[in-house]
Amino acid sequence: MKLSTLSYLLLPIVVLTVLITVSAGAQSKKVEIPAGYFHSVLPEVVGEPVRVESFFIDETAVTYEDYRNFLTDQPRWRSSDIPAIYAGKSYLKNWKNDLDYGDKKATQPVTSVSWYAANAYCGWKGGRLPTLNEWEYAAQAMEFESSDDADRFSSELIGWYSAVNANQVKPVGSSGIENKYGVKDMFGLIMEWVEDFKPPVADDLSLDCGTVGRMQGSSTLYGYAMSIRYITRMSFKPISATGMLGFRCAYDTVQNGNEPVNENQSTD
Amino acid sequence: MKSLYQISALLMTLIVLLGVGQSTVQAQEYMMDGMTFGMPEAVVYTEDYDGPPVVGDHLTLLPNLAPLEYEGNKHHEVRLDAMVQEIEVANGVSYRAWTFGGTVPGPTLHVREGDRITFTMKNRSDEEVTITEPGSEASPFMQQVADNNYMNAKPGVMPMPHSMDFHAGTVAKDDKWRTIAPGETIQFDWVANYAGTYIYHCGTPSVLMHTAMGQHGVVVVSPKEGYPTDYEVDREYVVVQSEYYLKKGPSELYQYDFEAAQSRNPSHVVFNGHQTILHDQPLEANAGERVRIHFSNNGPSGTSSFHVIGAIFDRVWLEGHPYNEMRGMQTVLLGASGSATVDFIVPEEGKYILIDHEFADAEKGATGTLKAGPRKR
Repeated sequence: MKLSTLSYLLLPIVVLTVLITVSAGAQSKKVEIPAGYFHSVLPEVVGEPVRVESFFIDETAVTYEDYRNFLTDQPRWRSSDIPAIYAGKSYLKNWKNDLDYGDKKATQPVTSVSWYAANAYCGWKGGRLPTLNEWEYAAQAMEFESSDDADRFSSELIGWYSAVNANQVKPVGSSGIENKYGVKDMFGLIMEWVEDFKPPVADDLSLDCGTVGRMQGSSTLYGYAMSIRYITRMSFKPISATGMLGFRCAYDTVQNGNEPVNENQSTD
Repeated sequence: MKSLYQISALLMTLIVLLGVGQSTVQAQEYMMDGMTFGMPEAVVYTEDYDGPPVVGDHLTLLPNLAPLEYEGNKHHEVRLDAMVQEIEVANGVSYRAWTFGGTVPGPTLHVREGDRITFTMKNRSDEEVTITEPGSEASPFMQQVADNNYMNAKPGVMPMPHSMDFHAGTVAKDDKWRTIAPGETIQFDWVANYAGTYIYHCGTPSVLMHTAMGQHGVVVVSPKEGYPTDYEVDREYVVVQSEYYLKKGPSELYQYDFEAAQSRNPSHVVFNGHQTILHDQPLEANAGERVRIHFSNNGPSGTSSFHVIGAIFDRVWLEGHPYNEMRGMQTVLLGASGSATVDFIVPEEGKYILIDHEFADAEKGATGTLKAGPRKR
């Protein structure tokens, strides 16, 4: 009983075809996530699974080196040039100067990036930030041997949310956590920006003592971990930039009715 | 066409006026039964502030209570920043706590019934904040921590949203108690309308997680007219009971145990945030003295049956309100976020054990010592 509920919750219903495209000149791969359904913890559609159309998403989060390349090409997003309305004081706060992030960070996920800057980066890459539902749908596409395994994973995830050390972020691809399509580190390294991080229902939820109870459609460990993530995200402002907040990009598919992915095209 | 434009312009003006009118109404103060309600809207902003995280003359480290050296009422300016500290809560047990002011529980604020507080809090969970180097602006709390860092607090970084909910305040929570992101600052006013000892805590969900991670403390609001026994009190202390739900993490540090918290199975139940602190540093008194303790059970989820072995509570003011007086109590039962102000007479020289008489809690740490010297008067 518990296992079937969990697999319904955790595993999208679709059969998958994984398409991996390698973007020109960069190490990061894009992974296609096929259309399907998942369960949101937002109370707007209680019990109803949310449909997500197919899309591409980066295999790993954007790294310091990736971001430095962006800044090299796009000076107006450098710390010394960025207008205050697009980023607070903490934007790239640990960088030595505009284009120098210091030692040993090249493959670490870039953090202390505002939502505006993350958006601009993804636009520059010919993509966009994933929507909240896309991100959650992809993140939750994990397979577990048993409900015990799923619970154990969720328990570790909650532990991570309460004990993460923002001073010691590890390189991308190192979390050992991967969804069934091969997307890595959606948990265990950093938290990530999404396009609509503060959905309209956020104001109604108003983040108080009762919110977790209202968000927990299913009282699983996984649901609890999810609600912590949703709540944390909802509290951000577009100029927020913290040491554990980074991002990865998403891209439309042709099936979506959109143009195919266009590499490294500037949005200017 | 033109008249349509004029009408819509008029409508717009009306809407704007109504909107302005509403916010003015909300900010209007009024009195009822001698109490003040209707605080101005909270302000959320970003600031470059990197000064002392705890500012205010009447904030102290447990079990101390700042004296109210002023007559009548006062307008307090209080800062209590939210930040991460690695702290020791039992011998060999440390974790990265989410705190107000750097300790668990946070600093104790002492005010008088009717005082107004302008409260400022910056969410500094994304920066390292040192609490053992008080500057000239800092509150007495910070000097006390520097002199007696019994939790061995060290700065950490764990950016999370936080908020502040003062049970001693009476305001709209979706305004004053609102959640702020790392790097943001919130400022709001409240008036201590009711005497008593009140918990404060982070109200950001998961509240269970935020309070269990350490974000709580107390405000002691002394009654305007005092308690009937004030003139006989020789010692005054604050003791806070709370639970930790910790398990060993991947490193030497402990971390939050969600399942234990949900099933109300604490790893430690403690007085003043540390399993043995009130034995390592006992409360002091002498035989024949009247000791007053403001006792709060900050939970987050447990009850407390507070008792002092060898003494009987001469007076108990439930929630600390002078009208709620009881006499001759052996044990005071307190739910989560309940408090009592108790007086007892220390009968003779010796040791008195403060204890949660729910023995499962006592054996997880909810005990302390009051060490009494010989009679002096």
